[in-house]
Amino acid sequence: MSGQADTALLRLLQLCSGTLPIGGFTYSQGIEWAVECGWIKDQATLTEWLTDLVDTSLAQVEIPVLARQYRACEQADVDALGYWSDWLMASRESRELRDEEGNRGRALASLLVDLELPKAAEWRDTLSGCQSAGFALAAQRWAIPLPQAAQGLAWTWLENLTLAGVKLIPLGQTAGQRVLHALSDTASLAVQRGLVIRDEDMGASCPALAIASSRHETQYTRLFRS
Amino acid sequence: MDNTASITADTGWQAELELGFAPRPGRTALVHRRQRGPLAVQRPFYPEGEACHLYLLHPPGGVVGGDTLNIQAEAASGSHALVTTPGATKFYLSAGDMAYQTQSLRIQDNASLEWLPQENIFFPGAISQLKTRIELAEGARFIGWETQCLGRPVIGESFDSGLADFQLQIARDGQPLLLDRLTLTPERLNGAAGLRGLPVSATLVATPASQADLEQVRELIADAPSTGATLLGDLLVLRYLGDSTEQCRKLFIQAWAAIRPSIIDRAPCPPRIWST
Repeated sequence: MSGQADTALLRLLQLCSGTLPIGGFTYSQGIEWAVECGWIKDQATLTEWLTDLVDTSLAQVEIPVLARQYRACEQADVDALGYWSDWLMASRESRELRDEEGNRGRALASLLVDLELPKAAEWRDTLSGCQSAGFALAAQRWAIPLPQAAQGLAWTWLENLTLAGVKLIPLGQTAGQRVLHALSDTASLAVQRGLVIRDEDMGASCPALAIASSRHETQYTRLFRS
Repeated sequence: MDNTASITADTGWQAELELGFAPRPGRTALVHRRQRGPLAVQRPFYPEGEACHLYLLHPPGGVVGGDTLNIQAEAASGSHALVTTPGATKFYLSAGDMAYQTQSLRIQDNASLEWLPQENIFFPGAISQLKTRIELAEGARFIGWETQCLGRPVIGESFDSGLADFQLQIARDGQPLLLDRLTLTPERLNGAAGLRGLPVSATLVATPASQADLEQVRELIADAPSTGATLLGDLLVLRYLGDSTEQCRKLFIQAWAAIRPSIIDRAPCPPRIWST
């Protein structure tokens, strides 16, 4: 029993690791342009940017979609899994954010097929729709409870963006750790909220993020793919 | 009217308006019109020949908590309609109830609809939900925009209380293309990745759009701060964030004029009311 539980934790760490070959570190989700235009310029403004995303997009889009996809996997309902992938994709505000979603989804789907995760090969097309579909299937199959899986997804997303901010502003590694540390409670609350939100309360768009990401598509010099 | 114009309403307006456009010899006719309550349209007119231009009139006293406005429009295959409003729509301070405005637009194959209302103004204390659903058939042509102004920046008045829930949903043959939703409280107005304290947010969408359309629009907005354009499949999305409905309107009219020839296959013919 505890053996199985311990494996689940290790699997979650693997799923959230920076070594997962889905290219997480190559995306800044608009932060690169936000830094360029001065919206993000130091630790405080990076924290504000991320806090806003946590309160809106994470709580009202990412986490509720993951929860619905996790339940879809429990019920082996591939249509529901695909429905929420389409829904998530339509909530992404720019071409670049959608490309990122598709790239991550395909990379994770192909990894899960390689790891011979049950259903991964059969559902490959649907899993390729977005990263959260594969994340949900892996978490459900590896017996990672949904609340932990959701916290893991929140963490890995936050860590990636913080890292992007640290590199772009630039900030020291310690400042990056301070940002992550400061956001943990906010993120945890957002995950709790996101897990119980009703369908009709789902959805969030972030105009400044949408504009930053749209502008990033033609940014002259850039290190990141989004 | 001033910002204290509050009307307590236990039962507000239940206004409905249904519009149907269809091709008739030589022009698009308003073949269906059903209205209930204070939502109305003026007589259609034809400044550019075949296309039907129509002014939609919102309740003259503005919208208050408890009001429900339902607007439905359908453009049948082969029709072309342009709908605008002669002025801003005002949402006033609510005593507690929510005001609802729902717009459902359906555009059939080979039909063109341009939905270009003037801005919505939300007075401090307004509690409103605005939903716009656009359902496109394969081969439908559409240009639309929405401009939301929270408070009245021209007189330095901010949206320091109230609630707003803006939803824009676009689907083609049942498949979602864009799901935009902005839920705002006064605290959220300052969201760093959201409105950044700027009271005017607006979105223009157009389809079927090409990379060339996107590039034209990007050229127009190159020097405009807090604007961005992207192409989602064949859906062009232009966003504005700022403090001036006037600036936004000018920019959107320019973008509309630039892309109309390729999206709708017609030279721009700006409704006269826009220049007043």
